[in-house]
Amino acid sequence: MTGSILIIAAFMIIPLIVGLVSSRQSQGTSEDFFVQGRAMGSVAVFFTVAATWWSAFAFLGSNATFYTSGPVYLTALAWNLLFGFMYYWIGKRVWYLGKRFNYLTPSDLLGDFYNSEALRVLVAVITLVFTVPYLQIQLTGGAYLIEVASGGVVPFWLAALLFYFIIIVYVWVGGIRAIAWTDVIYGALLFFGMMFAGYYISSHVGGPTELFARLASTSPQHLTMPGPNGNMGYGMWFSLFMIVAIGAFMGPQIWLRMYSVKSGRLFNLMPFLLGLAAFAYFGSVLTGYTGVLLEPSLENADQVLPVMLMNYAPYLLASLIMAAGAAAAMSTANSQIHAVSTVVTMDIYQRYVNRDASQSRIVLVGRLSLVGFSLAAYILALTVPGLLVTIGIAALAGTAQLIVPTIGAITWRRAHPMAAFWGLIGGTACVLWLTYGASVSNPLGLHAGIWGLILNSGLFVVLSLALKRHDQDVVDRFADARADYTAEYHPEQCDGESSTFRRTSQAQ
Amino acid sequence: MRKTFTTRKLVIYGGLLLGFIMLESPLILVANQVEPMIMGVPFLFVWNLVWWAFLTVLFLVAYLTNWGSKSVSRSRRDD
Repeated sequence: MTGSILIIAAFMIIPLIVGLVSSRQSQGTSEDFFVQGRAMGSVAVFFTVAATWWSAFAFLGSNATFYTSGPVYLTALAWNLLFGFMYYWIGKRVWYLGKRFNYLTPSDLLGDFYNSEALRVLVAVITLVFTVPYLQIQLTGGAYLIEVASGGVVPFWLAALLFYFIIIVYVWVGGIRAIAWTDVIYGALLFFGMMFAGYYISSHVGGPTELFARLASTSPQHLTMPGPNGNMGYGMWFSLFMIVAIGAFMGPQIWLRMYSVKSGRLFNLMPFLLGLAAFAYFGSVLTGYTGVLLEPSLENADQVLPVMLMNYAPYLLASLIMAAGAAAAMSTANSQIHAVSTVVTMDIYQRYVNRDASQSRIVLVGRLSLVGFSLAAYILALTVPGLLVTIGIAALAGTAQLIVPTIGAITWRRAHPMAAFWGLIGGTACVLWLTYGASVSNPLGLHAGIWGLILNSGLFVVLSLALKRHDQDVVDRFADARADYTAEYHPEQCDGESSTFRRTSQAQ
Repeated sequence: MRKTFTTRKLVIYGGLLLGFIMLESPLILVANQVEPMIMGVPFLFVWNLVWWAFLTVLFLVAYLTNWGSKSVSRSRRDD
């Protein structure tokens, strides 16, 4: 027990040290605090994106889903690839526009392109409302792990409190630079933990081959869709693929990581790296399915990994791997807290409360927001129960709606502010209604988020075609920026004409 | 603007489309089987691993070929 407490303590202290060391390089400006002066290097970018993207949802929720619902979570291989592709195709364009027009938040880009204050506020509200529940599941997941790893010595409420205290301290002092540095450690721990836990735990039933053979004879419904409960068929397979990848990609924490990147070429490599990392999910397959054979009657499926570790692995190894799980949760939570505080500071405080705020004042408000959102997520974690994956997908379905106006902003000069506004309203209302109000939550087996995206896209395209923009200067400014992007990164699509010619061509 | 899609680019994007169709279209239901197990792994899992590997390698090829675009001096300078 003492050993495991020491591991947990080390896991808490190391990020503090890293955060304090990284804060020595801080510039004291809002751009440095929020996007590291747009100079983040390749190693830090990969680890901070991967560790932010892979959360408690991935580390604990994946095991739980294989345990309760069969193979539907296997679609994670594809959603990681889709996420990587979006990081290249959309992220690189967002990065370019962010660097050119000095954006810090999602609202900056969308509010600027659509030239609409109402849309700017709506985007900020959507990012805040749907990120906090996702933040809550990180806290819940991390606290579960610490509670189990300590053998109950550290209860859930205290584990969650400690968890956030550590995050607040190092994000307060180091901003996104501290997060990126700690994410290098967290990311390595996370991938090691997932892979090794699966391999080690499955050895108790004779290894992967024996595990699948036994499962095929005793519980074959766990190996095919729609799974043992009969509710995870193709509709959910496709829904998860779309909603998880797009919802996470549109989260403010990933936007900040698009703006922070130093070089455009790095975006070209990320799809491969993120796709390769997805192999770690095979560890979750092994852990979840071994749980089906060895611990078939767990009350809380989210605890399948910690329970398996405590029952079937040496205590110190179990504690180390659970620290990796807490790393998954903490590396996402730190980024989300930082991102929502950025949104509050830049989109609300600086824009509507104090336009002339000094740099130090902005950074201070950002830091105070960290504390406020952490408190909100902490209260939610103590009061709102639920499976990590269930809460996570509902939250991701909301942020996923932002993809429609974003693609419009980076590709289509006819995209209209009213179309973006009503598309977002329609999409998010559809998600909320199907999740909490309708008698059927998954019509045709598709998740509420998919129906929201269909309604959102339909409204966006129809209204954009029906309405005409009158702010031609803004449209032209973005058309020029897009043309310059194409000339720089895809010259085979240009033949060297003037930007005026390009602008005219793009209108067609 | 003249849209010129190089053969490389067509191969990369065509391959991506193929991979995602194999993983996420209703075709996955054809692969939704336990048997035949290959090297002790159920067929659905092997199917997913094979197409995942295909797409991951394709992403590497895409990176190495600058995603089918011509080499660009300006984008290399800002590394």
